Amino acid sequence: MKVLVVEDEKGLAESISEYMIKEGFVCETAGTFLEADQRIYLYDYDCVIVDLNLPDGNGFQLIQSLKKMLTTTGVIIISARNALEDKIKGLEIGSDDYLTKPFHLSELNARVKSLIRRRNFSGHTEIEFHEILVQPASRKVYVKGQLAVLSRKEYDLLLYFLSNVDVVLTKASIAEHLWGDNIDSVDSLDIVYSHIKNLRRKLLEKGCTDYVRSVYGIGYKFGLS
Amino acid sequence: MKLLTKTNRIYLTFSTAIYLFAGLAFYQVIKILIYDEVENRLKVEKRDFEQYLKIHDNWSSGYFVENKIEVSPVTGPIQAAEFFTDTLMRSRYEDELTPFRQLTFYATIGGVVREVTIRKSLIQTFRLIEIITATMVVCLVLLLIGTFWFQGKSSGRIWHPFYETLSRMKNFDLTHEKPLQLDKPEIDEFEELNEVFRKMGEKMQHDYRSLKEFTENASHEIQTPLALINAKVEQLIQHAKLSETQTHLIEDIYQASRRMARLNQGLLLLAKIENHQFTTNHTINLTELLVNKLGDMEEMIHYKQLEVQLENDTPFVVELPPALAETLVNNLVNNAIKHNHAQGQIRLHSTPQQICLSNTGHALISPPERLFERFKKEGTGPDSVGLGLAIIKEICTNYNLQINYTVGDGWHQFCISS
Repeated sequence: MKVLVVEDEKGLAESISEYMIKEGFVCETAGTFLEADQRIYLYDYDCVIVDLNLPDGNGFQLIQSLKKMLTTTGVIIISARNALEDKIKGLEIGSDDYLTKPFHLSELNARVKSLIRRRNFSGHTEIEFHEILVQPASRKVYVKGQLAVLSRKEYDLLLYFLSNVDVVLTKASIAEHLWGDNIDSVDSLDIVYSHIKNLRRKLLEKGCTDYVRSVYGIGYKFGLS
Repeated sequence: MKLLTKTNRIYLTFSTAIYLFAGLAFYQVIKILIYDEVENRLKVEKRDFEQYLKIHDNWSSGYFVENKIEVSPVTGPIQAAEFFTDTLMRSRYEDELTPFRQLTFYATIGGVVREVTIRKSLIQTFRLIEIITATMVVCLVLLLIGTFWFQGKSSGRIWHPFYETLSRMKNFDLTHEKPLQLDKPEIDEFEELNEVFRKMGEKMQHDYRSLKEFTENASHEIQTPLALINAKVEQLIQHAKLSETQTHLIEDIYQASRRMARLNQGLLLLAKIENHQFTTNHTINLTELLVNKLGDMEEMIHYKQLEVQLENDTPFVVELPPALAETLVNNLVNNAIKHNHAQGQIRLHSTPQQICLSNTGHALISPPERLFERFKKEGTGPDSVGLGLAIIKEICTNYNLQINYTVGDGWHQFCISS
């Protein structure tokens, strides 16, 4: 899976690409419009992450020329502007998602993965992690072949974990993933805990290994290590 | 009091006083002139009479028929040589009193001193005075009315640019791009005034714009470094070798940057609402949206063991940009959950006229009228930035909705009405 990050803020581009590489993607970065334009001309990418404000051009133009060449490439816009018009325009010219800065890397990662899943297999793919099997199309979760009945948010939480295996997820990023950006209450962090507790219990009941680890109170980690 | 009414009133009192005075003075002058004339003629007649006496030394009443001359014996002491008096006499033909001016003097007729009185009727001259006075009064009144009318008309025209400027100023909205349009009147003072206003308007709009742009640009520019901090912190916490103290430090940095991001987004949103950057209004059923949002927050509500009551949910419909309706509902619901105590209640009451969301909760620390101010926090910990209600208020004021807050019996109620 090849991902191109078009972002002029070098530090941010680095962080994104490091995170992506750790997640098993092949990741390249471009800091300018020109560089990005050349890269999309020369190589094929599964997903392109585009910042709208580039020093020498507009991200929209880049998306347009990209869509002319290869329509299967997924596009995620990252922008400092939280404007509805931009989102609509982005969707109109063929982008798949829109993230407003500042965002969580784990969120971006989850979106990229979900986008690639949708694009490549039209959503008819199964996510497997050891004994856990998730069917995104029907939103069903199986543990060792047994159906685990999860609530809507618990399902979303599990999927978020599965998109970010072996990564420390902050409580805030989980809360925002589940309830959207507007969630701004201290209670939300406690409720994240209660949801994780429930998810854990339901998975353990079906004989699943306990993959969820609490990391010092800053967040949670899903995985074996 | 209106400017024109005031000047008219002053003008009217002043000119009436002047006209009254002028009328009286005129009357007196005419009267003096006429008396002078009559007296002169009486003196001439006295001379004629003395001339006659000198020749005839006798007086027959047949002479001087018209000018009544009365010769009578002296009664009482002899006074000054001659004097004028006013008298009234009964007319010979008509039974009425007519005014006369008389000259009394003493003459020796046939060796005997007699009192001689020569009279002259004033009836004609009095009529003359009356007519002259009447004509003058009529003229003055006409003049008064005329100038009054004319003055009203002319000052209405003269002050027209002033009123025009006033009404334009009233309609001037500095938040709009349109500059202050003012005429160029003939009158220098008004032109100067308009010029001053125009410059002031331009300056205000310019300042407003730059302030707006500054807020927007600053907020935008802040987003990217914030994204950077967030990303780096996220990477940092992936390292397994962190000690607990280090994690705590990182956690604090992370919290602070999240809060700043939230604050910044809130301020940006406020600036955008103020700048009317949300353009397309849709008809939105706020009741439905609120009910959905309450459903969406089910886990939160359940977690805090809150009880939700939906009362009388006839839809309350508003015209709002969808994004703002979403924000409005989010903030209202978040507020009702956040400021609730455990096992509290949330009540939604909706009529076509207004929608009320009430929640149980602790008493307010700050005064209720300051609740909608920016950065007004009710001490809900570091995660709150205190912009939620300010945003609600801003949305309502910009889209002609009323927002009211009432508190009582441990209930906090927010009502939106159109």
